[in-house]
Amino acid sequence: MSVLTNFITHTLHGVQYGFILFLIASGLTIILGILDVLNLAHGELYALGAYVASSVLGYVVGLVPPPTDAASQAVFVAVVLGGAVLTAAVLVPVGAAIESVLLRPIYDRNEVYQLVLTFALLLIIKDAIKFGWGPTPVRLQSVYSGINGIPAASLVGLNYPTYNLVIIAVGAVVVVGLFYFFNRTKTGRIIRATAIDREMATAIGVSTDRTFTLVFAVGAFFAGFAGAMALPPTNATLEMGANPLVLSFVVIVIGGLGSLRGAFVAALVVGILSKWATWQYPPAELAAPFAIMAVILLVKPDGLFGTWGEMDA
Amino acid sequence: MRNRLPGLVSRDGERKVRVMRGLELTLRQTALALVGLLFLFALPDIARLSPTIQLSVLHQGVVFGLAAVGLNLLVRHTQLVSFGHAAFFGTGAYTTALLAAKYNVTEFALLLIAGMLLATLMAMLIGYLSLRHTGLYFSLLTLAFGQLLYALVQGQAFFGSSDGLPVRPGPNMRPDIFGLALPPDAYEVLMYYLTVVLVVVSLLVMWRLINSPFGAALDAIGQDRTRAQFIGIPVRRYVWLAFVVSAVYGGMAGALYAMVQQHVRPGPVLYFLRSGDILFMAILGGYQTLLGPLVGGIVLVLLQDMGRDLTNYFDALTGLVLLALVFGFPQGIVGSLKKGGRVRNAASSFKDDPAVIGSWLSSFTESLVTAASRSVQNVKVLVFGVK
Repeated sequence: MSVLTNFITHTLHGVQYGFILFLIASGLTIILGILDVLNLAHGELYALGAYVASSVLGYVVGLVPPPTDAASQAVFVAVVLGGAVLTAAVLVPVGAAIESVLLRPIYDRNEVYQLVLTFALLLIIKDAIKFGWGPTPVRLQSVYSGINGIPAASLVGLNYPTYNLVIIAVGAVVVVGLFYFFNRTKTGRIIRATAIDREMATAIGVSTDRTFTLVFAVGAFFAGFAGAMALPPTNATLEMGANPLVLSFVVIVIGGLGSLRGAFVAALVVGILSKWATWQYPPAELAAPFAIMAVILLVKPDGLFGTWGEMDA
Repeated sequence: MRNRLPGLVSRDGERKVRVMRGLELTLRQTALALVGLLFLFALPDIARLSPTIQLSVLHQGVVFGLAAVGLNLLVRHTQLVSFGHAAFFGTGAYTTALLAAKYNVTEFALLLIAGMLLATLMAMLIGYLSLRHTGLYFSLLTLAFGQLLYALVQGQAFFGSSDGLPVRPGPNMRPDIFGLALPPDAYEVLMYYLTVVLVVVSLLVMWRLINSPFGAALDAIGQDRTRAQFIGIPVRRYVWLAFVVSAVYGGMAGALYAMVQQHVRPGPVLYFLRSGDILFMAILGGYQTLLGPLVGGIVLVLLQDMGRDLTNYFDALTGLVLLALVFGFPQGIVGSLKKGGRVRNAASSFKDDPAVIGSWLSSFTESLVTAASRSVQNVKVLVFGVK
């Protein structure tokens, strides 16, 4: 492999990693921007998504024949994506229940209680997963190899897994969809209005109750979706929630608190730069995102973009 | 020289025991404090009698409680919730371990002081970078810096990577206490007594600190930063100072931890869940009190240890306790037991009229039903729209 193809492969890895990070951080950042809640259990929702996906995807993939020709490959991809959306839909009631039953009574209390509460949820969800799926890691190799059977990257002479291309494509669709939702649809505008001024929104007839439940459910949806998309290339383990959680904090801090656009840019920056760093100097893998964060904060203390507001979405 | 030494004094017709300048306890409080001290000092003997309680676990609880006492200075007075306190705990622990493992430093006091010193330097740096922000942003930043340290230590062979470093210097394979090379049993017990002494001194220092003009200024900053700035308090400098002081406590606890466990790994001392643990110890014990964090530390460590023996799902057990804490006893253990606290009030109204239990139950179910119906209503509107 020449240096150029190496470079392209690692950049693509970075982009794919960035999109996964964005999927997780997007849920976290809209919850943070609108509810002012730092949801420590978000990583566990992502892990729960991966575990639910192992069951759901395992089932739906069994319904279709293994992909051989172009038509059956298309069907296979569609089924997998449908399964991922179905998985994420399972997380919606979970998120709605957490918000409306547990979080709602403590909004007006000191914020340390939100941290304690979401941390308690982190521990409980983790053990719930252990109870449901057992302590051994769960795999879903058939989906990964099935989709990788489609020769997409090799068309241009690259040795790159097709599944990662699917993640990039899906991530791009989600990004466009989220920006459309928050800029163009009525519900999205209502949510942003609530974020900008809670009292004013209430005064003109927006129910903050419902907005909050909706936002948390959407956040849980994206966490679950990210989990489902991230499962096939690796295993789902009980510890898988912690790292993405911390990395999405980094993404949020770099992007600017509560800014969706910031989260997107930051996720790509962190994804690509940390994959480059890993390529050039492997031990840097763990520290690279934090080092990037420290540098960006020294230059721009408020992150790349401002906060969730009129000019931003 | 009267009123200079500890002794009995009379204040507003009440007899009080004078501990040091400004610190006077009622007789009841003195008795409680003495019982508490006696209990702490008798723990090694109690642990010897009972097979289920291990001194090392209790010792660990006291050590983490000390870190939580330090963190509480920030949380209680400046209202800044640091989520990266493991960084200082870990700095203390790793400084001790490095000196012991790589440079063969054997003296207990040297190791302890070095740990505290390095933690101070680390806090000066991290504090300078993260105290520009408040609220959740501050929590996030401290968390991220803590994770940066974790990642650095995990990735470097010099720090022993994920295997960590042993704290077994010298021919005796353990630190000397003031020049004395002790056998394992004596070392364990003496370390415990030293820890208790250090904790008591630290508590007294903390008490002096929060009852000084500096402590009052921190309270003012916690209530309203802008106002504090206007009345001439150097907010940035004071908050930074408080951050460093709280880190010194963390560093001391970390150094003690390293010498007690005699092995340091990045997971138990630097990982962000450890930061969470330290914070929750403070809240569990009652973060509006001085002693609360210490009690919370002992209780949480014991709870985690017993839960591990009891069930496979000990994490969820801790989670449920924390949930009960948030909804039932937001003032924490010590806060609820204090005068005017929840448990005291409930006990006194129960004494007046035992039938009060009925009204507690009905108000509890009522609030559950209201919350449930409200969320059902909301979900209905979300799904079907407003009709």
